[in-house]
Amino acid sequence: MRTATLPDTFDHQTESRWAVETHRLTKRFGENVAVNNVELLVPRGCAFGYLGPNGAGKTTLIRVLLGLTHADAGTMSLLGYPVPRHRDVALARVGAIVDEPRFHSHLTGRQNLQILAAAREPESRDRIGPSLERVGLAGRADDKVSKYSMGMRQRLGVAACLIGDPQLLILDEPMNGLDPAGMADMREMIVSLVAEGRTVVLYSHLLDEVERTCDAVAIVDRGKVVRQGPISELLAGASLALQIECSEPDRAQSLIDAVRFAAHIEVGSLGLGISLPAGTPRDVVAEINRVLVEGGISVYRLQEIQASLESWFLQVTSRLGAAE
Amino acid sequence: MTTPPAVATVATVPNAAPSDHRGSPIPTGAMITTRFMELRKRRGLMIALIVVNIGLPTVFLVIRLLAHAIAPKSYGPAGGYDIFTNLVAGVMYVFGFIVAATLGCAAGSVDLTEGMFRHLVVTGRSRLALYLARIPAGLAIVVPLVAIGFTIVCTVCVTAAPAKLNFDGVNVPAGLSRAGLANWAEGHPDEVICNFDTRLGPSTPNASEINSVFNNVRCGNGVQFGPPPVSGGAKPTEAEIRAVAAQIARMDYADYASQFLSPSDSLMIYSGLWIELEAVIGFTVGLGLASLMGQRTVPVVLLIVLELILTPILSTNVIPHVINLQRGVVGLAMAHLEPGGLPLAFGGNSRGGISQLVPESTAVAACVIAAWLVGWTVLGAWRMMTRDA
Repeated sequence: MRTATLPDTFDHQTESRWAVETHRLTKRFGENVAVNNVELLVPRGCAFGYLGPNGAGKTTLIRVLLGLTHADAGTMSLLGYPVPRHRDVALARVGAIVDEPRFHSHLTGRQNLQILAAAREPESRDRIGPSLERVGLAGRADDKVSKYSMGMRQRLGVAACLIGDPQLLILDEPMNGLDPAGMADMREMIVSLVAEGRTVVLYSHLLDEVERTCDAVAIVDRGKVVRQGPISELLAGASLALQIECSEPDRAQSLIDAVRFAAHIEVGSLGLGISLPAGTPRDVVAEINRVLVEGGISVYRLQEIQASLESWFLQVTSRLGAAE
Repeated sequence: MTTPPAVATVATVPNAAPSDHRGSPIPTGAMITTRFMELRKRRGLMIALIVVNIGLPTVFLVIRLLAHAIAPKSYGPAGGYDIFTNLVAGVMYVFGFIVAATLGCAAGSVDLTEGMFRHLVVTGRSRLALYLARIPAGLAIVVPLVAIGFTIVCTVCVTAAPAKLNFDGVNVPAGLSRAGLANWAEGHPDEVICNFDTRLGPSTPNASEINSVFNNVRCGNGVQFGPPPVSGGAKPTEAEIRAVAAQIARMDYADYASQFLSPSDSLMIYSGLWIELEAVIGFTVGLGLASLMGQRTVPVVLLIVLELILTPILSTNVIPHVINLQRGVVGLAMAHLEPGGLPLAFGGNSRGGISQLVPESTAVAACVIAAWLVGWTVLGAWRMMTRDA
């Protein structure tokens, strides 16, 4: 039994504050580096979003973490247990959906969970019913999976995670296929899981959902983690956006360009969209207004746009794209 | 800049290590049971297994039973030794392998193709244990099915066996001793003299008397004794004819004794074990090959080709430079272990015939079978342990 052979110091490792910890983790597919020296720290007991454009290497990182494929370099640990060395111990308390959840379609949802529970500890069999109840599938648990909708399969995937009573859940696009009510239920469930002290790592393209659900995020692009931290801190560092409705937008743009305040100005039908560098003093907003008024421009409205995770995400990824 | 986020909250869920043997390569009973359930619920596959292993021999025997009951003079008994040997060697052996291989291929590939493999790996359970759980689960289906089909065949072949034995075209009571057969021959001299195979040699006792009887007995529509003598010799007396018939019966007793109304207990037991072993090989090889290839259809086709085409060719045609390779064919090894009373499936000897099989000792055959079982299991398990999920 492997757990019996763990060194005494191992218990201290399990007290690690990180649910997921990777250092210089790398995975290559030929010339393509899908995971590139990733340094990732996911704190315990939070909802953590892992974001990135298509092909950024998000799912590959999950697969490496879960031992579905091997890393080429670097170290990683789950719940303080180094993997792959103590993979069995670590994964015993991890539940994960990777890609689209698929099951034996000729079996019922309950029977699929019985197969998965059999591979876990004996107690997990007793959790099948409560897990199905929790994801709202209790009434359809004895229907064949072939009759399930995409959303129901997603729920079954989450139930499959829950039968292991996981401390860490890794959910890859769990909102896929869910209707608005289902998405709200899923969001609520994620929040409740976190409230129970579990860690939820959420891979999603739905930035709005991530912003509403997660405490912290990491953004990955071209296999590298380019930003990570609490959402509030990251957004505080985002650029300041202004929307100005005014007369003569083209002349207004020239006036603002002349004083070199703005990082970026877009002229639209209603006026100007202005992006200011992060950390710009608020006095600059008043200065822009003054320049326009003194230049004879009628300013009808000047509004500061609250930075969203989506706008910040686009800033980060587009900036990277522009740099190349 | 990348900064690590602060810890949001303190985990309250206990961080206990699992109490089960998660990393052990030995599958648990629950794993085997649920895997058995998964395979058993494949309705199409189960129907195919039942039809081939039980349905085909049952339908064949039922038709023969009905035909014999309706027109016993036109249709022989449903059971008997010959029916048994032909069904076992010709049907159950070959088709048992194919359906077992099909089940093995399903067991070896469906987790992967249906997306469950990933879920199972994420549990942290040893991949080797996941693989090994499939073996007892699959065999728990294959072995009983083969046993049920075989039991039906044995039952019918014993209970519906012919009452008389057809020996050299003559209906003779079965199970007679040498003296008993001689006594019976004295009572039926015409049938014995006219039909029993008689090989006379210089050392045959009373050869001249036998020849004399042959020369003076006319067989045809209704056997006639006595005139017309062929060579004008003395007409043999009835006592002489009966004595010659008894002597012929004693000479033919060895051939007669090898004929059975129904299969013996030992033949049935050995044959049952033999076709079970063939089914086990089919399942194990199918499981390993499908796990290795990650799919079901191609391995099934490959194994059918192996069983129906390659094995018969490689078993009966000695190819000088690859004879050792031929000896490695599992079907040839199985043919060498075939019970002696059965006609060989791949063109070897039937009773009294000459074996055309590529020569191989029993020890080598046993080693080949063991190597196939172990080798494919190792290959399949290795691929499962190293495969990206």
